[in-house]
Amino acid sequence: MSRNEDKGLFPSLWDSLSSLRLTIALLIILSVASIFGTVIPQNASPEEYLQVYKITTYKILRILGFLDMYHAGWFILLLALLCLNLIACSLKRFRTTLRFFTPELRLDDGQWKTYSPGQKFTQNGLPAQMLPGIRETLSRSFSPPRVVEASPAFHLFAEKGMFSRLGVYFIHLSVLVILGGSLIGSFYGFRGNVNIIEGQEADQVILRNGEHIHLPGFNVSLEKFSVSFYPTGAPKEFKSILTIREGGRKVLTESILVNHPLTYKGISFYQSSYGIAGVERVILNIKDRESGKEVSLSAMMGNLTEIPGALSAFSLSHFLPDFQGMGPAFQVIFSEPNQPQQKFLILQNHPEFEEKRPGRYRFMIKEIEPRYYSGLQVTKDPGVWVVWAGCFIMIAGFYMTFLMSHRRVWIRLTEKGAETFIEIAGSSHRDRTGFEKEFQKIGQALNDSPMGLKEVKESEGHS
Amino acid sequence: MISAKMVSSVTFLYLACTVLYFNYFAFRSERLGKFATGLSWITLLLHTAAILWRWVESYQLGIGRAPLTNMYESLVFFSWCIALLYLLWERKIKSRIIGAFAMPFAFLFIAYASLAPGISDRIDPLIPALQSNWLHAHVITCFLGYAAFAISCGVSIMYLIKIRKKEQGKKESGWTALFPPLESLDDLIYKTIAVGFPMLTIGIITGAAWANYAWGSYWSWDPKETWSLITWFVYALFLHARFTREWRGKRAAFISIIGFVAVIFTYFGVNYLLAGLHSYV
Repeated sequence: MSRNEDKGLFPSLWDSLSSLRLTIALLIILSVASIFGTVIPQNASPEEYLQVYKITTYKILRILGFLDMYHAGWFILLLALLCLNLIACSLKRFRTTLRFFTPELRLDDGQWKTYSPGQKFTQNGLPAQMLPGIRETLSRSFSPPRVVEASPAFHLFAEKGMFSRLGVYFIHLSVLVILGGSLIGSFYGFRGNVNIIEGQEADQVILRNGEHIHLPGFNVSLEKFSVSFYPTGAPKEFKSILTIREGGRKVLTESILVNHPLTYKGISFYQSSYGIAGVERVILNIKDRESGKEVSLSAMMGNLTEIPGALSAFSLSHFLPDFQGMGPAFQVIFSEPNQPQQKFLILQNHPEFEEKRPGRYRFMIKEIEPRYYSGLQVTKDPGVWVVWAGCFIMIAGFYMTFLMSHRRVWIRLTEKGAETFIEIAGSSHRDRTGFEKEFQKIGQALNDSPMGLKEVKESEGHS
Repeated sequence: MISAKMVSSVTFLYLACTVLYFNYFAFRSERLGKFATGLSWITLLLHTAAILWRWVESYQLGIGRAPLTNMYESLVFFSWCIALLYLLWERKIKSRIIGAFAMPFAFLFIAYASLAPGISDRIDPLIPALQSNWLHAHVITCFLGYAAFAISCGVSIMYLIKIRKKEQGKKESGWTALFPPLESLDDLIYKTIAVGFPMLTIGIITGAAWANYAWGSYWSWDPKETWSLITWFVYALFLHARFTREWRGKRAAFISIIGFVAVIFTYFGVNYLLAGLHSYV
């Protein structure tokens, strides 16, 4: 630690920024903070908070940013610090990785001992005569080697999976790419909602903060919304048929479902909610008390509908979704020749009231065809592809880190009298048991090669 | 339903396997060990059949969907993943000792599916939000990850028991003497997390891709998403902490156990205690 005192401010800052202790601390702080974010409801209304918290608690939480914690300055600062730490650690570590790009093609005796030595062979003849055969065997059983001549000795070096050492940098890079993608989304994207009633159109959406945003040069209309249910009562499908128009010209009509959004010019429309905006059409049974005849009619909301075989007509002027707790009701405006206009209410679930009402005709509601509105979430996120690219890099990084390993094999041919002495050594930075098998196969390949190598069981004082 | 009855019998078989692995410990009999392994493979086979049969039954009901979509099915699948991963590891490391600490997890989760009140084994059709092909990739990767973490937690418990005895200066006697050496246990904790962590990552990524289709946003800080990220942070911490010497061994084993607690909270706690979008499982 005394070494640190000699350094200036900048190097010691760099030291703490590139320290693994900072990584550990940041991961712990971020985890604990995130727990608070899941326990304290986020982005709720003041009324909802005051039901749970005292007013002072609420104020403190609001000032500290705990009510929209993941977007609070201090949380973003922690994420930024994690990014800086990640970059610093990667740069620091990369210096040691860099040396694997210029591998040591020849090991000295000391290094030779540190790597796991394998079999030894001898054969009559000079190393130069042995070289082509050894080289060919190593290429075939492992990977093409590079050769260093240190006459009369030769050193061969072959490696596989060097990229595995870069896996960790890919993972670190991917975190930055993903966060970068999310930044692009928050600066250049938006997330809003729009409710469209069947048959109507919208050219703007309302953002969470209440701001309105115009769709760029097109509008969207809801042709039809439909909802279906399973016999259990659980929802089966929510479907909106949307039409996009540009300058009054129809561009496309497509239906969207949950899990099947529509994307046009970078803006996506998601099925998110629905509701009843009013009534489209009502099917009524109208009974003539004088003749006892009953007819079935379909009446469009607000339109004048004639009663067949009579000079009378009516219109449904108002829809009350729930009249005094008695269910759906309609106001009827009824006109007969030479009579003043009558207004009365009819209830779908209480036809008995209708029986008591004086007048020639009885109105009974058979079916109400609602007019739906569909709630669409409208999103623009130009950063989403950057995020997916980041995810892809991360998975590639994991593949390199956990499934690949950097394996290296050295062979040296040394002259020993009239014979050549052949030794092999190998190393793998991960999955040592897997490499052990591969390494033994290389030895086996040398043993089986037509060069007729003789295996030396004991090292016999050779170093 | 036949599949639910099969699951009930498989539950008892897992109990039998757990008991056998413990007895293997107590009596150190190679024959008992072989028997435990054999019965476990048979149980896993029946378990697989139960899951496949439930799939068939969903078609017979005219619903036709993979059995991976509610609490009951996810518990059954979680247990299956634990048993499968454990048995593959047992083959690889050629040691059965871990069994007594891994099999109980497989038993507990499947028993919870069959016995806990409020967990329905009915096959219901899929609500719109779940009608997506991302479901399969998301559920399978998440639970394979969780299963690897469960085994890692089991090994961590072994590590802590063994090191405690060692620290107390007691002579290694009885059953802890059978435990693999501390270094091997430490290595196994790492290796199981090295499988679980990428799986959890792919699970989160497929979940994000799915959320982007269903909810219009790949990340909304929903409690389930946030807790999966907390879990991810804990295991990221584990992997980084191993690079510094003082965080190896005992501390690493503790982080692995904390990580599994986070997994359990992500899986159950969020559903039972916190409200959010992800209310199915």
